[in-house]
Amino acid sequence: MKALSPHLIEEIKALPARYPQPRSAVMPALDLAQEELGYLTPEAMTEVATALQLDAGYVEGVATFYTLFHLEPIGKHRFYMCTNLSCTLRGAEEIVEHLRGAIGVKEAGEVSEDGLFSYEEVECMGACEYAPMCRVDHRYHYDLTNEKVDQLVAEKRHPAFPPARARVAPHPSPARKAATRLGPTDLPSGGGGDAALPKKTRAPRKKKTDG
Amino acid sequence: MAEQRGTVGGPVLTEWFAKPDLHTLDVYESLGGYSALRKVVTTMTAQQVIDEVKISGLRGRGGADFPTAMKWSFVPKDHPGPKYIVVNADESEPGSAKDRYLMENSPHALIEGTAIASYAIGGHEAWVYIRGEYDLPYEMLRDAIAEAHAKGYLGDKPFGTDHALDVRLYRGHGAYICGEETALLESLEGKRAQPRSRPPFPAVKGAWGLPTAVNNVETLSTVPWIIRHGGVEYASRGTEKAKGTRMVTVSGDVQKPGNFEIEIGVTYRDIIEGLAGGMLPGRKLKVFWPGGSSAKVLPASMIDTSTDLDGLKALGTMGGSGGIIVMDDSHCVVKAAARLLRFYAHESCGKCTPCRVGSNWAVRTYHRILANEGSQLELGILERVSDGLQNGRCLCGLGDAAGWVIESTMRHFHDEYEDHCLRHTCNVGKALAHA
Repeated sequence: MKALSPHLIEEIKALPARYPQPRSAVMPALDLAQEELGYLTPEAMTEVATALQLDAGYVEGVATFYTLFHLEPIGKHRFYMCTNLSCTLRGAEEIVEHLRGAIGVKEAGEVSEDGLFSYEEVECMGACEYAPMCRVDHRYHYDLTNEKVDQLVAEKRHPAFPPARARVAPHPSPARKAATRLGPTDLPSGGGGDAALPKKTRAPRKKKTDG
Repeated sequence: MAEQRGTVGGPVLTEWFAKPDLHTLDVYESLGGYSALRKVVTTMTAQQVIDEVKISGLRGRGGADFPTAMKWSFVPKDHPGPKYIVVNADESEPGSAKDRYLMENSPHALIEGTAIASYAIGGHEAWVYIRGEYDLPYEMLRDAIAEAHAKGYLGDKPFGTDHALDVRLYRGHGAYICGEETALLESLEGKRAQPRSRPPFPAVKGAWGLPTAVNNVETLSTVPWIIRHGGVEYASRGTEKAKGTRMVTVSGDVQKPGNFEIEIGVTYRDIIEGLAGGMLPGRKLKVFWPGGSSAKVLPASMIDTSTDLDGLKALGTMGGSGGIIVMDDSHCVVKAAARLLRFYAHESCGKCTPCRVGSNWAVRTYHRILANEGSQLELGILERVSDGLQNGRCLCGLGDAAGWVIESTMRHFHDEYEDHCLRHTCNVGKALAHA
């Protein structure tokens, strides 16, 4: 039974003070729990509820409403594949079919045998000018082709693999490293790492630290 | 890095987008950024800010097209205690990507506009509700807010004055319905995002039960420009009733998809054939969604329609969130409508029965039609479901939008529906055979 680490519970208990009303801490707390465990177990949701002094059923009700909360195990790298209209017009369905083969799963939600990959079809992610597109490990990937999907999968499978043309910030941010932690729903450390790459430089992607 | 696809150096919103490192406070300020906020907090009253924005004629760019100054003026001035500006950065309308484009290029413009809006309603704290999938814009806003605090532009004494201003971030977790303002407020309060019944309106009872104005990213990003150049200058652009410029996202079967800043009043031909480079080689325009998937479709014959917001309303459709989805003659309208209904059914929050049940009825009906099991019966079901979803039978616009997709595609492409339902053939096969 996966449960949350004591220091995370303490972190969750400190969340409500950041908001005008404590209940707003539910989603940031579930976010932290999910970052630690990979997905939200019933025990984790109960622990979040206890830490926030809420009903466990209420917390589960929130978790089940939002698509970015996972209640089943997911792969280490989750592909969120947009198949809404703009992406479908540009061939998203074929891309998804190719992805299934590339990561070795038969259907959405299934985790590959090595535990590395899973995917789901999601609705519009607001990058329609780059259709078809997807989101993996907190980054968008644009103008997908079968080749790009293969490269992306290889890159995730072997982190040292030369980078695909992954999406990075339009401009480098000198302030990024010094940025203060403003919100509890910040990405885990390193999550924003590749955004700090200098413009036009194809340096190797920094690997996101998972959990 | 992915190249920017869209307007740089446009008249208002994208004015400075060609400048490298615009997302940093130093560059933004060197071009004139934060001069509007400085002017507002040091020399203007809240009412003067509202008046200036009223002169500009700025209307909400999230889709509802409501006059921004009027929305701010609804927030009670004499209310003791906190009042909030909530920024709707939950852009999830299919076909719309302009808020992402604005935030990734110029996060400080949004922060400056948000702070000005807070001042205008007499509030001190603003919350940006940003969709969870927008990792990069979130990080950029987070860093930009930290920079603004470090400079003393936000905080207890912005520009040395006594009107404290702060901008906070809250991440969504994947729900289209959060783009609807009362559902967004529910979500911000840590609940399932289900729209509230109105009244009370958010201006009276909004975030955490307190007076609130909810504004779109693009709307607020426009405000600093209006303060810098004056409302009259902004109102000199656009049409008689719909002032200014706005962003549109063009996606789908065009040569150059992108986010473009347009002066309101240009035609869809200007956008699709001009800015977006026209159709793909050898293909012809069939249909387009003029303002996100929720706007009623317009067939190719109506490409000369103006982007004037009132004109679109008169046609029964809308400029909406500016997401223009373009489809050519190689795609089937029935399949496209079926895909969109799957979206609306998936995103229905479940609160109102017509939307929850109707959208799923439509999905099942489309499923039968596309499996060549359709008949006159299915056509009738779609018509009835479409009617049942519309006309204010639901608390928010999601149900209506689902109905509009069915109704407008059936109205303009009834022959394709008949081909599918009665003859079990697809019109697109014919179009391709002739190509």
